[in-house]
Amino acid sequence: MAHVLIADDDADIRDLVAFKLTQSGHQVAAVEDGLAALRVVRDQPLDLALLDIRMPGLSGLDVCRELRSAPGTASLPVILITARSQEGDVELGFAAGADDYIVKPFSPRELSSRVNAVLARVER
Amino acid sequence: MISLGLVTQALLYLMTVGLVLSLLITGIRGVRGYRRRRRRRLAAPVRGLLLELLCAQDDDQEALIDRIAHTDKKTWAALEPTVAAMLGKVSGRARTALVRLYERHGSLAQAVADLRSRSAPRRGRAAQVLGRLQYRRAAPALCRLLDDRDHEVRMAAARALGRLADPLAVPHLLDSLHGARTVPPTTITAAVASMGREAWSPVAAGLGDPAPLVRAVAIEVLGVTGAIARTPELVHVLRADPDLEVRIRAARALGRLGMPEGLEPLLAAIRPGQPVALRIVAAGALGRLGAVAATRALTELLGDDRPHLAATAARALLRLGPAGETALREAADDRSDGGAAAQARAALAEAAVGGTRYDVLAEVAL
Repeated sequence: MAHVLIADDDADIRDLVAFKLTQSGHQVAAVEDGLAALRVVRDQPLDLALLDIRMPGLSGLDVCRELRSAPGTASLPVILITARSQEGDVELGFAAGADDYIVKPFSPRELSSRVNAVLARVER
Repeated sequence: MISLGLVTQALLYLMTVGLVLSLLITGIRGVRGYRRRRRRRLAAPVRGLLLELLCAQDDDQEALIDRIAHTDKKTWAALEPTVAAMLGKVSGRARTALVRLYERHGSLAQAVADLRSRSAPRRGRAAQVLGRLQYRRAAPALCRLLDDRDHEVRMAAARALGRLADPLAVPHLLDSLHGARTVPPTTITAAVASMGREAWSPVAAGLGDPAPLVRAVAIEVLGVTGAIARTPELVHVLRADPDLEVRIRAARALGRLGMPEGLEPLLAAIRPGQPVALRIVAAGALGRLGAVAATRALTELLGDDRPHLAATAARALLRLGPAGETALREAADDRSDGGAAAQARAALAEAAVGGTRYDVLAEVAL
């Protein structure tokens, strides 16, 4: 079981991701913006963060950069969530230190596989 | 002179209007908030089932679809916006399950029937639902709605047809650009472009349409969808179309496509004697094309007495890489032509601070 954070301003996506990952046996913290995501990262031990690239205020990219710049969270695996029309952001995401990305619309099964793959990579 | 009483009365009147408006806005917000909360409350028990359905294994899906489809009318009405929104957010089996849910509930059949409703919002909503479901069998009925008396319904039908991605709908979409009941070009462009390469053939047929707007939209779609196989047709349009706006769009599209066949016609389009607007866009397109062979022609434009054209040529040279940059440096050092040197220096300075997003601005300015 892993502790996963999902940060997305879209309640449907947030609930779906939380539901699927909980169903897969993970413990999930769900927040709706970048600042709240950073608060959770500070307060809770996490194994992985799923961040929507475009969020009001602090974006997923901003959060990813913050995580990479802090010694305690520099190695926390990050998966970015992006819309198909914003796939250009993916390059920026990798530059910011993300480990993987998922494009909306996505299948819940694909999401679960990606999360497990990144977690397995880190465990190794 | 205005009496004090009149001023007081006017002020009182304004204050009353202000108060009434504030109350009205607060009231509307309150009602909306109440409706939202009520909808959420009603949908809450089945929202969990919906998430379960989206994450379910194949064997479990049918039972869940049945349970959600048989909820009462009010609960379905509260949940349906979430189901509709989810159609655009999930893919694979989860999406297929949502389509089956619509079928099982009867909403799909209802949407098809609603396309003939007397109520415009119902027709528009039905078009939206069928588009989201990508229900291709509704394409003929949606094509008919492109001629609907209601503007919003026509737009909804065009967007829905774009989602269906049925290339047979392209001629109808292009036809809706002219006539008594039209659909805005931006909506048509987005709808046809979203169909991707499947639409290239019928879109290219639109290049021969007598209406310049249809030809312009066809070019735009071919450019943004990367239809490199259609470069020869675009070259012909740039050379021979009688409409300037259409030629300008062809020049821009050739720049976007980046094929070597675009070089010669674009070089011809920047020559003196061509309309200035076309020369500017063609110069920008040459930069986008990245053809070093255009260096000399673009350098010659640096001294043009139309600053917009000269500046676009300078920025296009930057895009050509080292060859263009060398040409700019030489022009900047050349004291015989002050105008060209100034344009070259400006472009180099702009590049030095990272501002090479030039031709976009130039094109928008047109």
